[in-house]
Amino acid sequence: MITLTHYLVLTGILFSIGLVGVMRRTNLLMLFFSTEILLNAVNVGFVAVSKYYGDLSGQMFSFFIIAVAASEVAVGLGLLILWYKRNGSIDLNSLQMMKG
Amino acid sequence: MEKFVYIALFAPLLSSLLVALFAARPKMLFTGILASALIGLSMVASFVLLIDVNANGALHVKMMDWIDAGNLHVPFGFVVDQVSVIMMVTVTLVSTIVHIYSIGYMDHDKSFNRFFSYLSAFVFSMMILVMSDNFVGLFIGWEGVGLCSWLLIGFWYHKHSASWAANEAFIMNRIADLGMLMGLFLIYWQIGSFQYDIVFAAVKSMDITIVTTIGTFLFIGAMGKSAQFPLHTWLADAMEGPTPVSALIHAATMVTAGVYLVIRCGELYTLIPHIGFAIASLGAFVAVFAASMALVNNDLKRIIAYSTLSQLGYMFVAAGLGAYWIALFHLMTHAFFKSLLFLGAGNVMHAMHDELNIKKMGGLYGSMKATAILMSVASVALAGIYPFAGFFSKDKILEVAFNHGAYYLWFALFIGAGMTAFYSFRLVMLVFFGEKEHPKYGIHPHEAQPFVIYALMPLGLLAIIAGFFEHSFEGFVTRLLSHYEVHLSHGTEWALIAGTSAIAISGIAFAIYMYSRGGFSKSLENRACYKLLINQYFIPKLYAMYIMRPFTVLSHFIWQKIDVKIVDATVDMIAKIVYGTGTKTRQMQNGNLSDMLRWMIVGMVVLLALAIFYRPMV
Amino acid sequence: MDHILSLIVFFPAVAGLLGFMVNKDSARAYGISVSAIEFLLCLVLWIGFDGSNAGYQFVEYSPLIPSIGMSYYLGVDGISLFLALLTSFITMIALISLSIEKDVKNLIISVLFLEMTMVGVFLILDVILFYAFWELSLVPMLYIIGAWGSAQRLYAAVKFFLYTFAGSVLMLVGILYMAFLYHDATGVWSFALPDWYLLQIPFDTQLWLFGAFFLAFAIKVPMFPFHTWLPYAHGQAPTIGSIILAAVLLKMGSYGFVRFSLPLFPDAAVYFLYPIAIIAIIMVIYAAMVAYAQEDMKQVIAYSSISHMGIVVLGTFAMNAEGITGSIFLMLSHGIVSGALFMLVGVIYDRRHTKLMKDFGGLASVMPGFATVYGIMLMASVGLPLSIGFVGEFLSLAGFYKVSWIMTLLAGTGIILGAIYMLTLYKKSFFGEVTHEENKGLKDLNGKELTALVPLVALVVILGVYPKPILTTIDMSVKKMLVLMEKKAIDPNTSKFIINVNSIGGTK
Repeated sequence: MITLTHYLVLTGILFSIGLVGVMRRTNLLMLFFSTEILLNAVNVGFVAVSKYYGDLSGQMFSFFIIAVAASEVAVGLGLLILWYKRNGSIDLNSLQMMKG
Repeated sequence: MEKFVYIALFAPLLSSLLVALFAARPKMLFTGILASALIGLSMVASFVLLIDVNANGALHVKMMDWIDAGNLHVPFGFVVDQVSVIMMVTVTLVSTIVHIYSIGYMDHDKSFNRFFSYLSAFVFSMMILVMSDNFVGLFIGWEGVGLCSWLLIGFWYHKHSASWAANEAFIMNRIADLGMLMGLFLIYWQIGSFQYDIVFAAVKSMDITIVTTIGTFLFIGAMGKSAQFPLHTWLADAMEGPTPVSALIHAATMVTAGVYLVIRCGELYTLIPHIGFAIASLGAFVAVFAASMALVNNDLKRIIAYSTLSQLGYMFVAAGLGAYWIALFHLMTHAFFKSLLFLGAGNVMHAMHDELNIKKMGGLYGSMKATAILMSVASVALAGIYPFAGFFSKDKILEVAFNHGAYYLWFALFIGAGMTAFYSFRLVMLVFFGEKEHPKYGIHPHEAQPFVIYALMPLGLLAIIAGFFEHSFEGFVTRLLSHYEVHLSHGTEWALIAGTSAIAISGIAFAIYMYSRGGFSKSLENRACYKLLINQYFIPKLYAMYIMRPFTVLSHFIWQKIDVKIVDATVDMIAKIVYGTGTKTRQMQNGNLSDMLRWMIVGMVVLLALAIFYRPMV
Repeated sequence: MDHILSLIVFFPAVAGLLGFMVNKDSARAYGISVSAIEFLLCLVLWIGFDGSNAGYQFVEYSPLIPSIGMSYYLGVDGISLFLALLTSFITMIALISLSIEKDVKNLIISVLFLEMTMVGVFLILDVILFYAFWELSLVPMLYIIGAWGSAQRLYAAVKFFLYTFAGSVLMLVGILYMAFLYHDATGVWSFALPDWYLLQIPFDTQLWLFGAFFLAFAIKVPMFPFHTWLPYAHGQAPTIGSIILAAVLLKMGSYGFVRFSLPLFPDAAVYFLYPIAIIAIIMVIYAAMVAYAQEDMKQVIAYSSISHMGIVVLGTFAMNAEGITGSIFLMLSHGIVSGALFMLVGVIYDRRHTKLMKDFGGLASVMPGFATVYGIMLMASVGLPLSIGFVGEFLSLAGFYKVSWIMTLLAGTGIILGAIYMLTLYKKSFFGEVTHEENKGLKDLNGKELTALVPLVALVVILGVYPKPILTTIDMSVKKMLVLMEKKAIDPNTSKFIINVNSIGGTK
């Protein structure tokens, strides 16, 4: 029997993977992936809890997240390509224009 | 009569201010004459007041209020009673003569005008000191004479030793003044007033320990002004000043202010005879101590300075033992003959081109007869030979000590009398008689101007005859001061007089005998006791080594080590910690996205942890 | 006469604003006339002041933000009257003596703004506005030191600003807490000082609040060990900055003690009396010794200020009319004397561009007038009777004698040590032979300098001989304050203490 706990553990694991990715990766593309993993970890959590309580608002919220994430990726990838064309690199450490 | 009080008091001030207008100008003779005339006017007023007080009793004048805060009220009030009028007469008389004398003495000095301004300012301060009717007013004069003494000792300020001596005098006096201030504060908080009459009326019913404390504090003040041990070193160094200054300030008037204070507070000190005895003991000690230093010194002015110190000791013995009128009498006669001695020494210095070593003089009698006679008269008076003034007053003091049963004190004074006679005539012999040493140094001495000699005549006269006023003086001042009863039999009294005269005469005879045959052998100078005496018991060195040097070292230590290295460094360290933290944490803002993300996650974790573990609202 | 206080407070600031339009060449004349008018206004205030009324006079009150009790509230009593007078007088004299050429217009405008803040501190009765003036006074001073100072001016300016600023932040907390307490007790908000005076505060709270205010005042005074900004500030500030700093700004701290610490927290003040007295004694002796060790003439005077302020603090905490009146008078006399001494150092600095004593020597023969004025000020500084310095010192020490004779004795060593460092300074600089070739041709005081110094000398003598009109006016307000303190004290021992130290008799 798969219980809510299992889902939440999965969420936790996914979130941790995403977190480690955000912290360790310097490639922007990988960063996007990690972010997606984070978002989807949360989505899994929402859906599981929503099912558990029999309340649909959680699932609705995850739809919103998917939609927003999709548009974000679209914009982000566009910017990323532009950046790549201009600098020839998508390494995060080269992105230091805001350094104080 | 009030106007005479004001004339006596303010004529010197007026003189000082008027002359001060020309202080920066080159010598102008009229400043000296003006100052002398105004001081003379003050003297005349003082004599008028003397006659008036004799006829009508004390005079009390309140000029105006001075300080007024809380319960504390201090007026500018002046009292002319038997004691203060005697002081006024003495002070103005000697001052007038010294002023006239200075016209001749300072003749070639480029700061002639400035000198007279300071000198008159001194007389004004001294008049305030003796005329004030309250302790704070006395303190004005007390500090005022200190200031003028500073100005006048350091008059030749280009000389390092002069300005050093001036500062030493001022600072030593300040030490004592603090003691006096404490006494004043105690008087105020006990009695609520500084007026002499109120205070002396109140002390009679006060707790004896408090009266003792007041008496001690006031005497500490007196010790500084009158240069009593251990605050005595400044007086000998003060001889750096011009000689008229030494005569007026450091012999006749200012240094006797301490004695005046004890006499003035006689009603207080009679309540505490144990303190009085301590004062007398200190006085006897200083009398011998100072006289012993005078025995060997070769500096003309220092010898007389030590002699002053010694005579102040005599006065304190009398005052401490309750014989106030005798102390005042000796104060007065001493003022006459000691200032004469100093002024004579000034003539000698002039003649010798400021040479002070008496070993280099000798045989000056030939060229300076008048001065020699005057100084001999003063020395005889100082030694206490009948019928000169010193005989009457000094003999009385010895009598008092004997009468009091204080035989140790009497014996000390007795020995002191012998030493006094010896060193006075050692000085006279070495300066005026014996071998002529000065031609070896190419000096051709000459007598002072005639008017200078004439100016000294009254002092010479007084040094001879002042003693004969003893009984009228006693009758006059004991209207205010307590009587002193001598319970000795006539035989003892005569024996004492004979003994004292004998030791004085033998002292003189010994000096004349020794120095007419060339003095002591040189080998004495290697003896330890000679070294001890010529170095003033090493006290100035001790002060320099163990007080001045540690103070300087400690001051530098406090500044450089504590103030800069600890206190200020702590402040700077706090600032540096704040600044350093900023520099360090600035690296968080390095613009690197992944670092920022990491910090974001750290923040998130911290917030989560807070949300989980710290929930005060639930 | 209704709005004379507002006029006095804001006239210099308005004139300062207008000063931007004044031609650079006439800026100095403009500054002097403005400050002279300000001084005249203060004199008018003194003439109109009713000496027999101990309370606040010329009161102006209008609510600013009634909902939180903030108001525009001015008033003057015997304590603040003379400090305001001193401020305007010293500012005028300092401007007369001004010898800076560079950017003189901006300097004068800064000084005029500074004058507003200083007068404001002394005359305002609303505590929030008091705090505003208190902090505002830092800004013009920061400019004066930072822009016209010598080599290390930025360090000194920043240190001065941050140190004093950090100290007063805690006071703001204290002020807000006081207001909160007042609201708790009465149900209305008020920042008016006379309202606060009536509030009785529990003992423990008093201790904390006293501490919060104490830090701000102690740094300003400056009390040991918070004094180290002062030597730097004086060392780097231009002459005019030093004059105003020593003469007026330091007095804001000691004024704070009299105005706030004592009447608001009488129990705490008595409770902390001995620790503060010990600090004051340390100040007196420590600063005097450091002054003796200095080589720079200006630093000697800077440290001597600390030493004298120690006696001011001691007199204030004597808790009796003699001591407090004396300490306020000493504030005035120290303002005049230290201002004059700094001016004199400026005179010689203008000529020789050095302040080190070893570069002088024998000045008395080259510059007799200068030496005379210096000598008079020196004697006033060491507290010679019949000079202005004596009265305050005598009264302060006399007042504290009632509290503790041994502490008075220790603090009294200040008069000895003061003589030591001052006379040493005088000897090193003025006596002896002229050893430096450059010193032989020095010019004596010129007309401008004499115009500035002669009034100071006159005041030193006049107020030394006849201080009574000032003393009685101060005394009246001080006595009123003492009655208030005694009545509002929570602890009966405090009342007993205050009555005891104000009565004659029974001292050891």
